[in-house]
Amino acid sequence: MKNQYQRFVLTRAGQAVVVVLLAYVLTFLVISVLPGDSITNSLRDPQRGLSEEEIQRIVAFYGLDKPVVVQLVLSLGRFLSGDLGFSLQSNLPVAQLIGDALPSTLALASSALALAVIFAVAIAYGAHYLPGKWASLLRSVPSLFLSVPNFVIGLVLIELFAFRLHAFTTIDTNSAAATVFAAVTLAIPVSAPLAEVFIASLDHESRQEYAVVARSRGLSEARLFVQHLAKPSALPAVAMVALIVGELLGGAVITETIFGRDGIGTLVQKAVTGEDQPVLQAVVSLSAIVFVAVNLVADLASPLVDPRIELREVVDA
Amino acid sequence: MYPPKPRRRAFLAGGIAIILSGLLTACGGGGATSTSNKSGTPVDGGNITFLIQGYDTGWVSSKTSISSYEGNLWGQITDKLVYVDEKGALSPWIAESWEELNGAREFVLHLKKGVTFSDGTPLDAAAVVANLNAWAKGDPARGVSKVGLFPSSNFVGAVASDDSTVRVSFSSPALGFIATLGYHGCILLSPKTLALPVEAQADLSQEIGSGPFKVKSWKQGDSYVLEKRQDYNWGPAALGHTGPAHLDTITYKVIKDTSVRTSTVASGQAEVAYNVEPQEIESLKSQGFTVGTPRYLGFVDGFQVNTESFPTNELPVRQAIQHGIDREEIRNTVYTSDWDAATTFIQGNVPEAGDYSSFFAYDPDRAQKLLDDAGWKAGADGYRVKDGKTLEFTLSPNPYVPSTAAEDELIAQQLKRIGIKVDLKVVDVAGYSAIQASRPPLFQTSRSFVDVGTIAGVLTSQNNGENWFNLGTSDQKLNDLSTAIASASDRESREKTAGELQQYVLEQGYFIPLNQLVQRLYLISPKVQGVSYNGLAYANFYTAWIAE
Repeated sequence: MKNQYQRFVLTRAGQAVVVVLLAYVLTFLVISVLPGDSITNSLRDPQRGLSEEEIQRIVAFYGLDKPVVVQLVLSLGRFLSGDLGFSLQSNLPVAQLIGDALPSTLALASSALALAVIFAVAIAYGAHYLPGKWASLLRSVPSLFLSVPNFVIGLVLIELFAFRLHAFTTIDTNSAAATVFAAVTLAIPVSAPLAEVFIASLDHESRQEYAVVARSRGLSEARLFVQHLAKPSALPAVAMVALIVGELLGGAVITETIFGRDGIGTLVQKAVTGEDQPVLQAVVSLSAIVFVAVNLVADLASPLVDPRIELREVVDA
Repeated sequence: MYPPKPRRRAFLAGGIAIILSGLLTACGGGGATSTSNKSGTPVDGGNITFLIQGYDTGWVSSKTSISSYEGNLWGQITDKLVYVDEKGALSPWIAESWEELNGAREFVLHLKKGVTFSDGTPLDAAAVVANLNAWAKGDPARGVSKVGLFPSSNFVGAVASDDSTVRVSFSSPALGFIATLGYHGCILLSPKTLALPVEAQADLSQEIGSGPFKVKSWKQGDSYVLEKRQDYNWGPAALGHTGPAHLDTITYKVIKDTSVRTSTVASGQAEVAYNVEPQEIESLKSQGFTVGTPRYLGFVDGFQVNTESFPTNELPVRQAIQHGIDREEIRNTVYTSDWDAATTFIQGNVPEAGDYSSFFAYDPDRAQKLLDDAGWKAGADGYRVKDGKTLEFTLSPNPYVPSTAAEDELIAQQLKRIGIKVDLKVVDVAGYSAIQASRPPLFQTSRSFVDVGTIAGVLTSQNNGENWFNLGTSDQKLNDLSTAIASASDRESREKTAGELQQYVLEQGYFIPLNQLVQRLYLISPKVQGVSYNGLAYANFYTAWIAE
C-alpha cells in the first residue's frame, strides 16, 4: 500500500514535470510565430532612424538571429540549469523581476481568495436562510458578479473610494487599504462560481436525513449550519480551488493594471506586448508549476477532508 | 437574528444613494480651481508625483533614451552639450561655445568648467569624447546601438585637445552636427556608465549623469524617485534659471490605465500625468489644469508613399489622395484646437518649414477629376475600377501614436467619397514592424529630428539612405536636392534647397502630410508652475516650482 502511494506520487510528479516542459515549449513556439522580436521591434521605432544593418547587428548580439530550434534548445538548457536569463526589454535578470513582482501578487491573490470565500459563504448562507424574495435576489448575485467585467468593478471602486471618499490613494498602491480594494475587485468574479457550488451543495445537504433529524431534535438553523452542514457543503468548493487559482492569475493582469500595482500580472502583460521571451517563458513556467502543485495538493487533501475518498483510494489500491 | 425590515431597507437605500451620488459627482468633475500665483516668484522645495504609463524598456541608454516614456526621466538626470528650444534655436549648455571650421567639416567645442557627474567624476573633454564615440558608433559587439540621427557615416573622430576643449572632425560637411548635440538621444553619461556591460547598465542607479536631479531609489515597473543635486549650477542659460532645481524630488509612478492617471491628478493625488486622452483636454482645462501639448521638431504625422506598389505607383492616385483627405475634419473630430494644421511635411517649428499647403489642400472635386482623367471609372459599388482592378489599398495606423487609429478610420471614409477603397488593418507595435518591412502603399510615420539635414538621409537610397518612397536613386531631381542638402556647408543655401525639396515631394505625392504631430501630452496640476518644454517636446522640471 505504501509502495502504491509512492508510485502514485511519482506518477503525478512526472506528469507535473511534463506539463511544465510542454508549457515552456509551447510558449516558445507561440512567441516565435509572432512577427519580429523584442529587440527588432524596439529598434524599428521610426523615431530611432537606425538602418536595417545596424538593427541586425544588435539582434545578433542577443542571439535572436539563430534558427528557432537552436534558440529553443539553448533557452531550455538554461532553464533546466536554473538560469532564467535576462529580460530582452529591460536587460534586468528575470529572476529579479519575478522576485520583485511576486510579493505584491501573492498579497493580492491571497486576500482575494480569502474575500472570495467570505463572499461565497455569505451569499450561500443568505440565499439559504433569508426570507423568500431576499433569498431569490441573493441567488441571482453570482450571475451578476460573473457578468460585470473586472475592470468596471475596479474603476467604480477607485472612483468611489479613492477619488470621492479618499479611503485610499492610487499612488500608494501597496498600502493595506489599496490592497483590500484591489482584492475586492479580484474576489468578486472569483466568488461567483464558488457561491453557486456552495448554494447547490447546501441545498443538497440540508435535505439529507441527518439534517432533517437534527432539525426535528430542535436544533436552530444557525447551529445546524455551523455544526453539521458547513463542512460537507464545502467539499465540492474545495475541489474548485485549483480552478480558482487559475482565475486569480488571469484576473490579476487586469486588476493590477487598473490599480497600478506592479505584480506578476503586469509583468506578463508587458512581456506579451514587448515579446519579451525570457520573461514570458519564466512566468508561464512558474504559473504552470503553481497550477500543477495546487492541483496535486488539492488531490492529496481531498481524502483528508472527506474520509470516503480515502476509503475508495485504499480499496482501489 | 435578522435586523428589522425597515432598517434593512434604509441601509439598502442608503447604500444605493451613496453609489449613485458617487457616480453622479464623478460625471460632474472634481471642481479643482486654478491658483492665482502664476506670475509669482519661484519657491524652492516641494515634491511632485509624475504618473506615467510605464518604463517597460528599461534603462540601457542606447536602447531607451529615445523612448517617449524613458526620455522623460533621462531629461532630468542628464545634461546635453547644446540646448534646443521649442522653436529649434540652439544655445549653449555644457558646451559654452563652439566653432565651425573648414566648411562644417571640423568643430571645436569649448566646455563649461567645473561640471561634475553625480558620482563626483568631472564632465571634461575626455568624458565628452567617450560619449561622442558611443553616439556615433555604438558597440554592436556589446549590444550597444548607435544614436540613429547622429551623422555617423562621415564621422572621423573626436579628440580632447585639453581638459575643456574637444575637436570633432568629419570627412564631409556636417551642418547638422551641433544641432544633433541637443537631440534627446545625445545625453551625457559618465564614462564609467558607458563602459559597463548592458546588463549592468540596466540598473538605473548605475546611470550616472550630470543633470539637475539624480536617482534616489527605484523599483522597476513601480516607482522611480529622483532628488535634486544641491551643487547643480550648469543649466542651459536659455531657461533663465541658475543654481539647483526648485523641486526637491520627482517621483515617477507607473499607472498603466489612462483614465486612472487622469483622475488621480484631477483629484489632487498627483501633480503630473503623461498622455491624457485628447478628448478630455477641454474639460480638464476648464477645471484649471494645464495641458502641455508641445510639438517636437521633425516630420509631421503623415504617410510615406511607396511609389512602386499598386495603386500609389500612379502619380494621379497619389495626388488624388493628397487632395481627398480633409485634414480639418480630422483635427475637429479626433483632436482639439491644440493641434496645428500642417503647412508642409515637416513640423511648423522647424526653422526651414515653409507653407506649401496648397499642394495638399482639401479639394474633392480636383481629386475626382484627377482620377477620372487617369481612367479610374466608378464601379457598381461606388469604388473606382481600371482594367478590372479596384482602386484599393490597406492602411495600418501607427501604433506609436495611438490616436492615428481614429484618424485613419476617418481617412478611409473620406477617400471612399472619391471612390478609393481603404481597408484598415490595426496592428500592435510588433505587427507594425512587419508592416513596415512589407512596404505598403502608405506607411504612417512619426519621426523627430533636430536638424533639417536629417531629411536628406531618408528620402532616397543614396548613401545608405532609408529610401522612404522606394524610388531608389531613380528620381534624379530628388537625388540632386537630397545631395545638395546633405553636402551644404552654409545654412542660407541649404534653407533655399530645403524649400524646393518640400515643394517637390508634396507635388509628387511622395509624402502625404496629415496634421502637425503632438506625441507627448502633459496634464499638470494648477499648483505646479514654471514647466518649460524643449525642442524635442519633453518637459523640463528643472525650472518647475510649486505655488502654494
